[in-house]
Amino acid sequence: MAFDRERRTWLLSLASLPLLVVAAVVVNAWRNIEDYRHRIETDIQQGSGQLDYAGAAWRLEKVRLIGDGRDAQLRLPGEMRLIIVRMVATAARDIGDGWGQCEVSLVDGTGRRWLPLDVILSSDISRDLEPDNEPLKGCGITSLDPPHQDHAALIEEKFVVPDAAIPTLSVRLSVAALRPRAIGFPLALN
Amino acid sequence: MIPAVLGAAALLAALQATTPPYATLTGPISTVGRQSDTVSSDTFSVKINRVLKAKSIAYKQFGRAVDLQSSGVWVAVSAELQAFQKTVPVRAATLIGSSGRMYRQSRRAGDAPNVLSTKTVQPGLPTTGLLVFELPEDELRNMKLVLSEQYDPQLKDEISVSLETIETAPQARLEIRKDGV
Repeated sequence: MAFDRERRTWLLSLASLPLLVVAAVVVNAWRNIEDYRHRIETDIQQGSGQLDYAGAAWRLEKVRLIGDGRDAQLRLPGEMRLIIVRMVATAARDIGDGWGQCEVSLVDGTGRRWLPLDVILSSDISRDLEPDNEPLKGCGITSLDPPHQDHAALIEEKFVVPDAAIPTLSVRLSVAALRPRAIGFPLALN
Repeated sequence: MIPAVLGAAALLAALQATTPPYATLTGPISTVGRQSDTVSSDTFSVKINRVLKAKSIAYKQFGRAVDLQSSGVWVAVSAELQAFQKTVPVRAATLIGSSGRMYRQSRRAGDAPNVLSTKTVQPGLPTTGLLVFELPEDELRNMKLVLSEQYDPQLKDEISVSLETIETAPQARLEIRKDGV
């Protein structure tokens, strides 16, 4: 009797093994897919005015194109151009850690993506261009000390891009908690 | 029942024996090529322009002359990098000598001008620069240059280029300027 019950339990365990393996694979795959989704930007809300995202209203404050001699009378070699993007975010609520892993990039019409210059180089350029002003922070650093409700944050990022890509560039911004959702503003530089 | 259990055990043993190790599964995505070609991975490409060897290298840093001697040989590789879809910092470069030993870029020459490891490659903007290594003289045959975003890349592109053997003796002094060698 006891032997039958033990045998039944053993068989039940053996039969449930494939189900448990499948369940473990599905759970792991789901976690990996979720991790991957928080690293990509596929759902882009594009606009030219003000966009609500991550608890704030975002707008493009100023865009500078440097290197073709028109701004700052500076000429960069060959196709190289410097683009400085300033954005203002007015918090509709306390942000807390809601802007964690904030990423800003430039994207052209073919999907190529330019990442911002590193903090040290960016600050050096700011001091060269505006020696009297303190360099503005990027989105990543601002996310560590985000604005409180009804307060605004001004962020700045710098990019090096080829001249040919400039007419189709748009700036894209996303935070880890909301990816793959992101917002984008066309730069409208010609 | 016993044959089924034995069969299952044999199947599991076969699966275990043929499963690649974790390091291989998550290792670099390798692309191999020769010095005469432009070698392209999915994310970036490299074209070797020149490979020079010298007993000493010289350059200026903040207006001060720097002269670095070596008990071995300095190898300076001039290369052009291109990024395709996204900004790529190619920080890691390794020279594999004829014995198979691996030499990372020299930290002694890390402040030399035009060094590629300090640059970031932007899509649409080909970037030229130098990779500087210091290695024993008997390592100079059949060298291989390995480039990637970072050392020991996981599931990221890694380009390996076979370098042609330079038969001539190392030059006494190689001057590195802002525009290269």
